[in-house]
Amino acid sequence: MPETVTPQREELREQESDELASTDRPWVTVVWNDPINLMSYVTHVFMTVFGYPKPKAEKLMLDVHHRGRAVVSSGTRERMELDVTTLHGYGLWATTQHDS
Amino acid sequence: MKFRRRRGVPQLQLDEMETALLGSLLDDLLDALGTLPENDPVRQRLFPDGYRDDEEAAAEFRELTETGLRDDKAARAERCRAELPAGSGELPLPPDAAERWLTVLNDLRLALGTRLGVTEDEPADIDPADPRAQSWVVYYWLTTLQDGLVQTAMR
Repeated sequence: MPETVTPQREELREQESDELASTDRPWVTVVWNDPINLMSYVTHVFMTVFGYPKPKAEKLMLDVHHRGRAVVSSGTRERMELDVTTLHGYGLWATTQHDS
Repeated sequence: MKFRRRRGVPQLQLDEMETALLGSLLDDLLDALGTLPENDPVRQRLFPDGYRDDEEAAAEFRELTETGLRDDKAARAERCRAELPAGSGELPLPPDAAERWLTVLNDLRLALGTRLGVTEDEPADIDPADPRAQSWVVYYWLTTLQDGLVQTAMR
């Protein structure tokens, strides 16, 4: 895993989502609430890993905090396993599952 | 512990006690990464399951990822250990170092916080009679340090 992830994924994702628009995107990455990770840190990780703008990263962080979980990305299973691994590298509690 | 900027680069000022504390915490983390048994809660928190309701997929995912994650965590902790000033001093934090320290501080908080059984309901005060009072002080110090760093890194 690289030390830093430049926030260029958003562009890639948009391309991916165009390609996948006509098919199902059946896998999602879920981040779960935990009492140790700081809200500021979680927001920072979402911005760094996914290239999300701060308002979107903060909204996802608040969803995790208040609702106990948030879907932070979706795509192929392989892509989601990569996202989960990256988030585990940052110490977030992430899992992947079929979108329901 | 104090953050300042020198020619635009954030610097973390640490006193002698703080560098010694961080050094020993990093040593403990490096030791834990290499030795904790599978069922240890700290190991389970540092390397959580990648699947929640599918044990087989979770085991397969762990098989594929845990060694690499552990090596990454250890390499980051070792680099931070090497960057710590001897005694009091300033730690320069250009973006790549800030990102590395942020992640390593998080690992330290996850390890210590899991041992302490941190919950959402934080105790208002630390009970000085609690044999773990010192660990709680260290945990909150790490929290302040990490939050200060994330504010610096996110600016």
